[in-house]
Formats: sequence, structure tokens, C-alpha cells
Amino acid sequence: MNNTSYPKFAVVGHPNKGKSSIVSALALDKSVQIGDTPGTTQVKRGFPLKVDGKIVYELFDTPGFQRARQILAWLQEHEPSSINKRTDVVKAFISEHRDNPRFKDEIELLEPIVNGAGIIYVVDASKPYGSEYEVEMEILRWCGQPSMAILNLIGDEDYRDEWKRALGHYFRLVRSFNPIKATFRNHIELLESMAQLNEEWTKSIKQAIDVLENLHQQKIEQSIDSIVKHTIHSLSYVYTQKIKSKKATKKEEEKAKLRYRTELIRNEKHLERSIESIWRHLDIKKVEHSLSLDNIGLFSKQSASIFGLSQKELTITGASAGAIGGLGIDLAFGGGTLFLASLIGGAVGGMGAMIGFDNLYEIKVMGQTIGKRELSIGPMKNLNFPYILLSRSLYYAYIIANRSHAIRDSLELKQEEFFGEQIFDVHRRKKLEKVHSRLRKGEKTTPLMLEEYREVILESFNLI
Amino acid sequence: MQNKNLNLSIKSYLDISQLLQTYRGSHEENRSFALKEERLQKAPTKLLLKWLDANIYKITTKLDSKRYLEYLSSFSSILGLLSFIIGFLVGLGLLSYSGEAPVNIIYYLLIVMVVPILSMIVALFSMVTHGRVADFFTLLFPLHWIEKFLNYVSFRKKLSDFKVPFSLELSKWLFIERLQLFSLIFSIGLFVSLIVMVVATDIAFGWSSTLQISPNSFHTILSAIGIAWAKIIPSAIPSLELVDMSHYFRLGAKLNSSMIHNADKLGAWWKFLAMSTLFYAIGLRLCFWLFTKELLHKKIEKEFLGVEGVNKILQEFNRPFISTQAPQPEKHLDIVESIKEKIIPKEKDKYTTLLGWNYSIDEIKLSKDTTSITAIDIFAVGGSNSFNQDRDIAKTLRGRVALYIKSWEPPTMDFIDFLEMIIENRKVEKVEIYPLGTVGKYYKNSSRDIFIWERKIETLQSDKVWVINNE
Repeated sequence: MNNTSYPKFAVVGHPNKGKSSIVSALALDKSVQIGDTPGTTQVKRGFPLKVDGKIVYELFDTPGFQRARQILAWLQEHEPSSINKRTDVVKAFISEHRDNPRFKDEIELLEPIVNGAGIIYVVDASKPYGSEYEVEMEILRWCGQPSMAILNLIGDEDYRDEWKRALGHYFRLVRSFNPIKATFRNHIELLESMAQLNEEWTKSIKQAIDVLENLHQQKIEQSIDSIVKHTIHSLSYVYTQKIKSKKATKKEEEKAKLRYRTELIRNEKHLERSIESIWRHLDIKKVEHSLSLDNIGLFSKQSASIFGLSQKELTITGASAGAIGGLGIDLAFGGGTLFLASLIGGAVGGMGAMIGFDNLYEIKVMGQTIGKRELSIGPMKNLNFPYILLSRSLYYAYIIANRSHAIRDSLELKQEEFFGEQIFDVHRRKKLEKVHSRLRKGEKTTPLMLEEYREVILESFNLI
Repeated sequence: MQNKNLNLSIKSYLDISQLLQTYRGSHEENRSFALKEERLQKAPTKLLLKWLDANIYKITTKLDSKRYLEYLSSFSSILGLLSFIIGFLVGLGLLSYSGEAPVNIIYYLLIVMVVPILSMIVALFSMVTHGRVADFFTLLFPLHWIEKFLNYVSFRKKLSDFKVPFSLELSKWLFIERLQLFSLIFSIGLFVSLIVMVVATDIAFGWSSTLQISPNSFHTILSAIGIAWAKIIPSAIPSLELVDMSHYFRLGAKLNSSMIHNADKLGAWWKFLAMSTLFYAIGLRLCFWLFTKELLHKKIEKEFLGVEGVNKILQEFNRPFISTQAPQPEKHLDIVESIKEKIIPKEKDKYTTLLGWNYSIDEIKLSKDTTSITAIDIFAVGGSNSFNQDRDIAKTLRGRVALYIKSWEPPTMDFIDFLEMIIENRKVEKVEIYPLGTVGKYYKNSSRDIFIWERKIETLQSDKVWVINNE
């Protein structure tokens, strides 16, 4: 058990300094109980990074120090003749007090260290340094394992300088890491620091970094696949319902409209769940009456103004989409139309884009065969709708992808940070329109078109 | 046994479509499966078939493939038998010899050579075209209409509650493949009828055409038709003499004397007709059937890999499964929010002793001035003190004791141990815990911090200890 070849790290410290938050963020695991009540973590818990069942490294979340002074006193009473025997004294302490409930927490936190784990000592640098911490640090020094300290800024004050001066006496490395705000890049940087603790661990940690980078990329691609799938479904969706008379009544039409919208909203919700699942962020709480996608309805004007394109950009997009159709005619005549068709197409497309937000979809009465009259709604005709849908999805994916697993608060979106136009420039919109225009006509798309569409969306995501 | 399961077929296509509706496996399960089947990792279809074989038991209802294959088997048996009977009857019709006029081999050749070649060309067009154009060619096949008719017979009802998940394209290929099979059976029926008629009756063959074809030209055409077997069975190519003597005209009402004179030689045509049937109607059709069968197989493979959910499983086979989570769920701490009130307002400023937990004497004195507290004795406890030093201080205490604590630091068991020592000291009347915020916040506390301290103090269940609310 002690001779495992992979590196192990015990995240230790005073109670309530964010140890579990750090572990939760690094292990991408929301199941870690995080609380402001001291003693939330009662037993050590290992979080191995496994690739196909093989452990690359393992993190241990541990309870905080409770009776540090008493332990240090015991260790000092048993001071060995040589400093390199101090680890044995710590082991002796664990062995002698294993059944003593008074030292349960300390045994839980010291055990992985004496079994070879590196030490990650966590302090809250938003609060002042206190000499009482020296007792804990001294105990850790007795363990003789490679160690580093993490400055976690939980509150709004900043005492990092005084902490750094103190921690520098005990730890090889001192790094700042805020598990709540940490980005993926910060996560990787912290791992790189951990790799420096012990030469023997460098290879494994580098492998872990590669693995996590691959995992991150995989998740981005899975999110994009999901966005493409759900967007295509929404844009091509046609709702049909049987009607009694030759012409649909107002009531039938309203009912069909409601069903159509409901399906599109359901599809968006489904996509959100899918993205949450990809990033292992299930059970996110959403604040009611705040700015969330739920509250900015998919069909609301607010959604169009935040996530959609402006009237001007829409006109340009419409013109380019129309021009694409016109260009087909020109090419068929070998340019013999002097590219007039493109110009006319562009003008018509631009006009189409100006249609108000209420003209979302086309309602048709179909199936004139005896006894089989159907009212059909869709596919979506509004030129802005695909951009609203895509922007909302990409925005949501971005928020979820960058959300730390240490966050237990509800999800709230920030309106001012995002505008559809910023991520879909004219060049990208032109490419997207190839698919959108086909879907608007109820035509099928080819795998090649979808591949290009996916690439554009991936590019757009990376721009956010 | 393994190879049997790894053959891609309509059955496997239907099975995977049905299985993926209810079960797709987790990434961990799928990756683990792929790693166990290392030798199949470069053959995704075979790996997928193996996965299907391993998980097929998860379908607890009747397999769609079973129902479909039962239907296909009934359908094919009936149409196969029907094709054979029709082929046999057509053969009988073509070869029926009344004794008055000879059997015109041109009719026969039309059926065994021209019609198969034409139908194969139409099938080829149908194969290479898509959508409505392909549908048009399909309409040209009688089988299409027979199939439509058979939709109304009883065994088709077996599939009434099951939607075949084939794409239109795959359905077209299935249709073309079956069409070739039934055409082959039809030709076999035709061939059998030829043999039966040749053996059982004496048929006089002749040839007659409205077109003015000379026996020489006709002989050249026949030699071209029989070029494939001319060297192997030369007797199966009619001689110019036979062609010449077999020529007859309807207008003559009676056969010419040459024909009657050489009646025994006219039967020699059967070898040519038999070889034409074998080569064009059966051989060529057999090759075409095998060709469409192979193309159908490729189409099934393509569609098999395109079934909704298959791509995800294939990706999971190839992508390493990365896990970062703890294998065991955490034992959650039950946090009791409702507690007995342990907070008192600040009443008096005078205390017998003022203690500062984890504060230095200087810090205590500074805080004392800020909080306007007076005390006879002041001690620093916790921090760099030893446990024994604190115990000695606890023993000397008496009267009312004020205890500064850092409100942002949660109470540790070390602190509780110290507090218990004070509680045990009977000379101490009351301990008032005075939480202080950071200097940066002018010693102000947050209500959450006070709450945490209050909750911890409550666990001591002592009437001596109280927390002062100085928010």
C-alpha cells in the first residue's frame, strides 16, 4: 500500500480554510461536502486521477487540525537523536493514538503523509497570519515530506504578503489558488507547481496535466456536438397537428404555436442538462427572479437583444444568405446573369431579416387528402433565431465549462458580458447561413456541411 | 462461435437500433470493454458487434430483428415459391408446342436474355440514383407492386406495432437485393421447365421474325450470344445449316418441306437455349445477386455505424476513461441549525481576568482599549503557549472571565479543551467569549462567524459560558 508508484498529495490545514474546496476544484468533483462549519470533513477521502483504471496521482481531502499543540508536545517529548528519525516519531504517534478519539482528525490527516503523500498546506490569506499556525507547520515539518502552501483568498481582505513571509520558512513553494475563481489554466499551473515538489513525481504530474488537458478538450468538443445536435433539431423542427375543418381555427393555431414553442424550450433545457452532465455539474441551483436563461425566455425580446444580432448585422447576414442562393443561379448560368441574381438574392434576404421578432415560423395547412388535414408549424423562419439559440447555448456552455466544482452557490448569468455579435462575425455567419438557410427551407443537410458548421461553432466557443 | 456473432447482418443492425434505445453503456463500461477486446480495436464494426453480443440480453422484450426476420422469411418463402412457379409456367408457355408451328426461339431468348439484362440495367440505375429518380426506377419492378399487395396479407401484420428503422436508402438496397434473388429463382423455374419439356416432349424449334433477317445474319447474332460457351460446348452453338433449316414464315400456314424432312434435327436447339438460360438468366443473375448482396452488406455496415448512439460508443471505445472522483461517497456531516440561545449582549466592562486566545499580550491590550474592557489580570492563551501553560492559567482563574477570540477562526478542539478546564474551575463564575474581527475590519464580526462560535459553545452545555454579540 505504501509503495504505490504514483504521487499522492494530502491537502491539510486549519479547519475551514478551503481544503475541501481546493480538492473539489482539482478533482472536478461536486460530491465533496463543503461548509463553513468546522469539522465538515471528518475522515480523509482519496480522489485518484485514473486513466483507464490506472491511478496517475491521488489527492486526499483531510479533516483540519484540532489539537495541534498537544500533538507537537507529544512529538517533542519523543524527540529522536537524529532529525531524520522524526518521521518515525510521527508514525509512532499515529500507531499509539490510533484508537484515541481525541486525535482522530490528526491521525486521518497525518496518515497519508507518513505513507508518502506530499503536503499541500492550505491557509486563508484573506485573514491575518497568526502564530498558532506555526504549531501545525512544525508538525508537518516533522513528517519530512515535500510540501507546498496554498494561499486561498476566501474573503475580501488580502494578507498574502505576511503569509508568504511566514510560510516561506516552512514550505518550498507558496502559491495562490482560489478554488472558487480558478480557471482551468490556474488548475494546470497548480499541478505544474506540484510537479516541482519531487523529481520522481514530475513525470506522473506531467502525464496528469496531459490527461486533464485532453479531458478538457474532449468536454469542449462534446459540448459543441451537443449544441450542434440540439440546434439542428430546433431549427428543423416541424410541429404538425390534425385539424377538423378546411382551415385551422384561431384556437387550433394558438395551441399548435404553444406546442411548437414548448418543444423548442424543452430542447434547450435538454441541451442545458446535457452540458451540465458533460462538465459534471448536475444539480446546479438556479436563482429565481435573477438573470438566468430560464428567466430570459427563449422567445423574449430581451433574449433577442442580448443573444441575437442587431438589426444592422441581421440585415447584412440576411443579405449574404440571400446572395448565397443568388450565387447558385449565377453559377448555373456561368456568370451569364452578370451576378445580378446574387444582388437580387442579397436584397431579398436582407428584407427577410427585417421581419419582426413575432414572425418566428411559418404556419401551413397541409395534407389536403380526404379526411387528413394537418396544421404544421415550422421550420423556424426567423433569421435571428438561430443566432439567439446558438449564442444562448454557447454562453451557457462557457459558463458551465468555467464553473469551478468548488462553487456551491446558485448559478447566475451576467448580462453585460455577452453579445451574440461578438462571437459570430460576418465571415462565420456566412458559413453558418449555409446550414440555416437549408433548415429554413426544410431541406436536409449533408455531413460535410454539418462538419463545417461544427467547426465554426467550435471556433466561436473558443472566442468567448 | 465468436465469428458467428461478428457477422454484420440485418439482424445486427436491427438489434443495435433496438438496444441503443434503452442502453448505451457508460464511458467507463464501454472503454473497459474495448480494452478487453484489444485485438478488435482496429476493427470498429467487429468490436461493436461484440459489444452488441455482450449486451443483447439487456433487451427484455421480443427482439425486433426476430419479428422482422420472421416476416422476411415468410415473405421471401412465398415470393420465392411464387417466382419459381411463375418461371416454370412461363417456361411451359414459351415451350408449348402444338405440333402445327415450331416454338419460336426468339420469344424464349427475349425472356431468358433480353429481359434479365434489361432488368439488371434498371436495377443498376436504381442503385446509382437517389431520391425520386431511384423511386421511379423502383416503380418499374413488378416486385414493388407485389410487395405492396403483400402488405395486406396476414403475416405483414406481425410488424404492425414495430417501425422498421431502415433508411429509405437501405430499404431500396434491400429491395434490389431481394429482387435479384427472386429473379434468379424465376430463371431457375424457367430452366427446369425447359429441361422437363425437352425430356418429356418432342419440341420442334424454329425462328421467325417480321424483320428480314437472313439465316447468315441470325447465325452471326446467335454465335455472338453464345460466345461465352462456344469453346467449351461447341455443340451448344447452332450451325448455320440448323439456323437455315429452322427459319419459317407464318404466312405459309404450313411448314416447309425442308423443316419437316429435318424434324429430328430441329430439337438440337435445346442445348443453345439451355446454355443461354444458364448463362444469361441464371449465371449473370447469380453474379448480379452476389454483387448486390455485397453492396447491401456495405450499405448495412455504413448505416450500422450511423445508427443514433453508435458514434458515441465508438468514441468511448477509443477515448481513455478519465476519472477524478472519489470512489466512495462522503459521509455527510449532519449540521443542526437550530440551537439553544448562547448569545448575550455586552453588559459590564469589568472582568476579573481578560484572556486572549491566540493573541499576544500586546494585541490583547490594544483590543482591550478598543473594546473598553477593564480586567485585573490579562493572559495570553493558545498560540505559542504550551498546553500545560494554559492549564496552569485555567487553574488560577476566578470570578468573571472575558475571553477574546479571533471570530474568523473556527473553534478547534484545542480551544474547547481549554474552555472545559475553565468550566471545571469552580472559582470561575462566568466566561464571556468576546469575538473580535480583524483589525482591517475594525474588529467587526460577521453574523455567520458568531453563529459558528455560538453553535460550538452550545455543544458544551454549560451555563457558565456565553458568547457576547458585539456585531
